[in-house]
Order: sequence, then structure tokens, then C-alpha cells
Amino acid sequence: MGPITILTVDDSPSMRALLKHALVGQGHVVHDAEDGLIALDWLNRHIPDLVITDINMPNMDGFGLIEALRKQDRYRDMPILVLSTESSDEKKVRARDAGATGWIVKPFDPDKLAAAVRRVTH
Amino acid sequence: MNTNAILSAKNRINVIQGDFYVSDDPQLVLSTVLGSCIAICLFDPAIEAGGMNHFLLAEPGAGSERDPLKQRLYGAFAMEQLINEMIKRGANRSTMKAHIYGGSNIHRAMAHIGTSNANFARDFLRQDGIPISLEDTGGSAARRLDLKPATGQIRCKHIPTEDVPSSAMPPLRPAAPARVGDVELF
Repeated sequence: MGPITILTVDDSPSMRALLKHALVGQGHVVHDAEDGLIALDWLNRHIPDLVITDINMPNMDGFGLIEALRKQDRYRDMPILVLSTESSDEKKVRARDAGATGWIVKPFDPDKLAAAVRRVTH
Repeated sequence: MNTNAILSAKNRINVIQGDFYVSDDPQLVLSTVLGSCIAICLFDPAIEAGGMNHFLLAEPGAGSERDPLKQRLYGAFAMEQLINEMIKRGANRSTMKAHIYGGSNIHRAMAHIGTSNANFARDFLRQDGIPISLEDTGGSAARRLDLKPATGQIRCKHIPTEDVPSSAMPPLRPAAPARVGDVELF
């Protein structure tokens, strides 16, 4: 699997750093944003292969980001993974209905994350 | 600080290792006993609410949890749960104040664990932009910690480890939940 470009979206600088460390270590190119609005701004100028987003964020949360992306033709089929401390069925269903591709429960396991990235991008 | 008010609280919740709790109930006190573990107390005066977590990065010899990245991920999970719950209630990273407690090096064979836990907590809070207003970490004594989340009042008492009932010092185990990194594709 060759390197892919991933946008990670999380309001915690510490979590963004950990996620970037893991994904760069797996050979990927990683950009990050601290909330849904900043992610949308970046996504207006770039098209990554995958978005990995937190749910609980200020300004625009993960649900809002997924809904906004799925309204755009160019992001209709791009994989979007949710990475969250939340694990309730209610929130997973909401994410699925909004158009998320999958849900990963924090703390993520780097090996399971790598496998999920492979599955949704190939 | 009104220590008597904390000690006489009728509504007390023990925050055990791997757990966290956030409240704005003025009658409530959150308590815990710490050895090598860390407890972060957060308080945001803007919403008059606070919370406490209680976590351990990992114990030596715990298989894959010796991986530094996985240790940091466990700690980040414990921190994020507490911070997210505060933010859901209207708190802000820049207006929250953090206290760090624990990280004792109680067990000679595990002398580095307490220090590692404290270093992680300090680095995480700094990187996340949450001001640390007090830190009481290290040493070799256990700590009894009480927090009134609605006011941010804290009482931390150092106690000799031999005075701590064994029921209050559970075996060390990392803070990860049972279903680490579960992946569900829709």
C-alpha cells in the first residue's frame, strides 16, 4: 500500500500529535485541523484520500463536518472515519446516517487503525 | 479553603482508577487515593463546574502496553474523557484551571512509573493549552484527594503508604477500556 493523504480533525492538540505520529509512522501524509470549520476550509483547497474526525469539537462537530462533506459531489464517496471516545449506538447510528464510513473507539490501537485505513482506502 | 466542608460532605463519589467524574453539584465531593497513579482536577470558574480523573499509563511487563505510543494513547484517552465532559458543559480550555496530583514512586521496583505518569500529564495539559495552577506530584507517600467540583476547592493530604487500606490501593493496571480501538465499518 502506497502512502495516502489523510486529514485528521480533532480539537485536542495532544491527540492530533499522537494521531499524526502513528499515521506518519505508517508512511502516510498527514494534515490536521482543530475543528470542522477549519477542516472544511482546508478541504475547499485540497482533496485528501481519507478524513479521520473526532465528534466532540467546538464550532463544528464531527457530525456537522460529515454532513457538509456529503453534500459536495467531490466528497460523496471519500471515506470518512470517526475516531471518538464515545461509543454509544445512538451516536454511531447518527454518524452512519450522516455518511460516515466507520467508527473507531479511542484510545485507538495503531495496528487496528492501520488495518482500517487500508480497508477503506482500497 | 474550607477543609471542614470537604471532610463533612454527605455526597461523596470515589473516583477509582480508570474512571472520571464531572459535576456542578455544590453538595458533592469527589475523592480518591493515589499512589503512582495521577489524578487531574479541572475547574472552570465560568461555569462553576469541575471534575477529576484517575489514571495510570501502564505497569511494567504489561505486554504491548510497554509501547510508549500505546502508553501515551491510554493517558490521552483518560485526559480527553475528562476534558470533553467539561467542554460539553460549556467549559473552555483557556479558562479551565488544572491541578496535577499523584505520581508517587511508591514501589522501588517501579520507581519510574510515578514520574512517567506525572510527566505525561504535565506535557498533555501544556500541549492542550490548559493552564496548570498547582502540581503536587512525586515523593514516596500516597495521597488522599478531595475535590468540590462546584467550587474547585481541593484538599490533598499526604499519607504514609502503610496507613492506606489495601482496598484503597488497587493493583496497578493501565487505564485502557476493555474494547481498545474497536473498529466498526458501516
